[in-house]
Amino acid sequence: MPRAVLDTERLLSLAGRPLSDVALDDLLFASKAEVEGHDGPALTVSVTPDRLDLLSEGGLGLYLQGVLEAARGIPSYRAPPTEDLDSGFEVDRSVELLRPAIGGAVVRAPKGRSLDAGLLAEAVRFQEILHATIGRDRRAASLGIYPVERLEFPVRYALEPFGSVRFVPLDASEEVGAAEFFRDHPMAGTYGPLGRHGDACLTLRDARGTILSLPPILNGRAAGEARVGDRDLLIEATGTRERSVAEAVGLLLVVFVAQGWSVAPVPVVRPGGARSDGASLIASHAVDLPTSVLRTLGGEGPTTAVVERRLAQARLGGRPHPGGWKVDAPPWRPDLLTSVDAAEDVLLADGIRPEDGLLPPSRTRGRLRRETVFRRRFAAALLGLGLAAPHTSLLVSESAVARVGGEAPLHLRNPVSAEFAYVRNRLLLSHLEVLARNTRHGYPQRFGEVAPVVVASAGSDTGGETRYRAGIVIASDGAGFAEAASLVEYLLRAVDVVGAREPTEVPGVTSGRAARVRVAGEVVAELGEVAPALLAELGVPVPVAWVEVDLTALWPLVARHGSV
Amino acid sequence: MPEASGDAPVGAAPVALSGPERSLLLALREREGSALDEESLEREVGLPADQVRGSLQRLRSKHLALVEEEHETILRLAPKGEGALTRGLPERRFLDALSRHGGSLTPDEVTAAGLDEEERSAAIGILRRRGFLAEGPPFRLKDDARVQEGFLPEETVLRQVSEAATDVDPAIVDALERRGLVRRDHRSIKRWSASEEGRRLPIAPEGEELLGSLTSDLLRSGSWRGRTFRAYDVRAAVPYLTGARPNPYIAWLEEFEEVLVGLGFEQAEGPLLETEFWNNDALFMPQDHPARSIHDALSVEGVEGKPPAPDLLARVAAVHEGRPLPGTTSPLGPGWPGSYDVRVAVRPVLRSQTTAVSARYLARNPRPPFRMFSIDRNFRREEVDARHHLEFHQCEGIIGEEGLDLRHLVGVFTTLADAIGLREVKFRPSYFPFTEPSIEGYVRHPRLGWMEVFPGGVLRPEVLRPLGVDVPVLAWGIGVMRLAMVALGCNDIRELFQDDLAALTGGSP
Repeated sequence: MPRAVLDTERLLSLAGRPLSDVALDDLLFASKAEVEGHDGPALTVSVTPDRLDLLSEGGLGLYLQGVLEAARGIPSYRAPPTEDLDSGFEVDRSVELLRPAIGGAVVRAPKGRSLDAGLLAEAVRFQEILHATIGRDRRAASLGIYPVERLEFPVRYALEPFGSVRFVPLDASEEVGAAEFFRDHPMAGTYGPLGRHGDACLTLRDARGTILSLPPILNGRAAGEARVGDRDLLIEATGTRERSVAEAVGLLLVVFVAQGWSVAPVPVVRPGGARSDGASLIASHAVDLPTSVLRTLGGEGPTTAVVERRLAQARLGGRPHPGGWKVDAPPWRPDLLTSVDAAEDVLLADGIRPEDGLLPPSRTRGRLRRETVFRRRFAAALLGLGLAAPHTSLLVSESAVARVGGEAPLHLRNPVSAEFAYVRNRLLLSHLEVLARNTRHGYPQRFGEVAPVVVASAGSDTGGETRYRAGIVIASDGAGFAEAASLVEYLLRAVDVVGAREPTEVPGVTSGRAARVRVAGEVVAELGEVAPALLAELGVPVPVAWVEVDLTALWPLVARHGSV
Repeated sequence: MPEASGDAPVGAAPVALSGPERSLLLALREREGSALDEESLEREVGLPADQVRGSLQRLRSKHLALVEEEHETILRLAPKGEGALTRGLPERRFLDALSRHGGSLTPDEVTAAGLDEEERSAAIGILRRRGFLAEGPPFRLKDDARVQEGFLPEETVLRQVSEAATDVDPAIVDALERRGLVRRDHRSIKRWSASEEGRRLPIAPEGEELLGSLTSDLLRSGSWRGRTFRAYDVRAAVPYLTGARPNPYIAWLEEFEEVLVGLGFEQAEGPLLETEFWNNDALFMPQDHPARSIHDALSVEGVEGKPPAPDLLARVAAVHEGRPLPGTTSPLGPGWPGSYDVRVAVRPVLRSQTTAVSARYLARNPRPPFRMFSIDRNFRREEVDARHHLEFHQCEGIIGEEGLDLRHLVGVFTTLADAIGLREVKFRPSYFPFTEPSIEGYVRHPRLGWMEVFPGGVLRPEVLRPLGVDVPVLAWGIGVMRLAMVALGCNDIRELFQDDLAALTGGSP
């Protein structure tokens, strides 16, 4: 889950009252923010992915205000329309190649206050969290914060050739050209491909021609560095998706809104002249909450008073509407999209009490799959033969596959390690590893396992078929084909079928000492003596007999009998 | 006396006795009720002391004889004491010399009387302390000294010790011991008797062999009749046996399955290699969700998946893109940003959640009410360490029925917790892409405290409507490996993939 370290003191000052660590933990247990630890002035929290707002001091502070009843509903944040900007972003068609979406807002400090170091640090910290999460590592959206006092609108968003781009990066003191920047700067190394197309790059440039930033990579120092003491800030987001851009801006606003800053929209002029005033980006959105949904999800629907209280406590707006409610969700609550989302906030606001649980009367008959019962019988037969019962992974190592040879099993495109690189198509691959890991023990060693394998299958809707096998390994002096064949016959008799052996070749098994077994014409088992070269490589000093019964093939034959 | 007869059965050591051991054991058995000391036994069996002692110790190690040990102290005259008994104590000889010399002795005359310097010193000291001697030299009796019969009780004690008397003044003995005239010898006396086993041990009559193993030949011939079987040392080590046991983790999973069956759940199963459609898309997970990235999901190369039935694909695509379902006018919601990509949907991945089984099950339009569970393997791209494994079991469960709501989910969780013996539960809000509301259930373990184990919620309309389900469906996906670790007392998740054959069979083969 996304995680962040917050400043406890700043958080509690927003909450409006001191809280002990225990009290804070208890309060947050009913929320989607989980306290991971207290470390002096630092509070580590993790949140569910749908409540990123709670990873900011502002968002979590607003929540605490609500549950502590220090404040209710959506805080007032909209700046007076008289303060709205006349011009904002002008978008050039060229950006459609890379990152067509852009949006933003201006946040304004309350009277007598300005940007302090703590708020700036918090904004930058939360901005990076948003980059990594809904920004999909800046691919879907990335944010920038700029001092309004040091830029002049309109801000032009375009794809410019390298040759026309020179700026002082935020972390430097010397001006560089775009080519040099993309070649040398570490941030360009990481995010450059997102903002570059050949020898051109995205730029945000104000009316004076000053580079605000090269999105989504880095701000410029001249007009892109917000400083302590600034009073008006431009919050901007670019990206590949309008929705991700809107969510990113909306979430970042909560950092400032919680501190009493007001928000004004930034208009956007698209290629061709279409203009949007940007108000929708900063406005609350309405979500229908039918009473029927509340009843369906929660049982008895809460009363009107309870709904009102819970919405206010959740720092949402709400008004009665025919058939239910209209819930107003602020822009930092992009998770509230449908009625069930709004219903969850109402139903879970006061926590979930175990004593409210109801056990639904059972009108169904429980049962295991017949095939499961069949497999368990086989496993019991293996146990009855005195075979140890290991539990092995479906994934096997590169060395195991190379050692045995034959038709290669399915290979993982992105394995964690060479040890878990293939999806086994035979239990033998895993069971040889078991033998190798047990050479320090004495012999005989006898073990068996009922477990799945996956075999490639063009006819399957997934490209592979999951099959269950019963694998047996007998490692002892005297182990050989006869014992393996006897085991297969015994196991087939246990399910009332008779098989016929025929010679075959099996990779990893001594040539001339391998067989397959058919029942009603279907191959249901393979067996043989493991090749001595394999045993020598594994360090196994005794002969090994091997059996593998295909239970998936055997099951329909047995099921026809009705013996299971 | 021959004792061995036939092969000893494996694991049962026969009790073999040497000749002296046999003789001693018989002697002890004859004196049942009384214990014999070693000297008596030496005389009884006519064997030297060291052989008797050794044989008795061996009988004792074979648990056939018991020993009681007594300790006694014997007073004896030291060599100086014997001299004193013969010639008289130094103080007596001093007095005699004094009498011979008219009641006055010079030092030279003391020496001439046969007392060496030590004796003279002892005599003078004793006589002075008892008030007989006046200051000197020359040495003289005091005017008021009266030498009477018995005034030297040491002489009496010395004689008593020589006669091995038992009622002797201990204070005078101490004094004589300090003077080196007597010594105290300590000795232990061991008294032996036959133990219960020793009394019951079969001992063949003279000249007859005891039987070892009972063989089929003996049984067939009947020649065992009238013979005596050698007893075995039942405490001897025996061969170490190992055997097959159910894999503890699998056994625990099967028990958990039985709990669910008992609650009316029907088992379902799905493929381990899935397509992204069933693993994620049908569950309303956005196609660019981080958990679907190559960093989290394990994808397979060399094979291709197929899309589901076209109408189902169209419905799922519609909800992803925020469009109305075919045949309807209002979308269920805004969906996810971006376009739905069928190429993503058909990508094969190792199943990362058993909820994919629920999706397939629901797509088959089960008739409500239905309860389904599946406990099976899933895979995520995780580094393997003590707390994480890329392969894990998950318990998926769904209940679909009219009238179900979140309270029933709470009730099911509480019941499941109770079924595994953990009665304290608590819940908090949570999030999963395919459920809303979503909750997380915790159970309190007596040793480990609160554990997060029960994630679940109500399946979203965006999941149910495309699959054609129109009743509320409660769903959960329990990480049973963690519960199993707690139940089995293991601290390392890798131990659940147990392939150490010694551990599985109860010891090294």
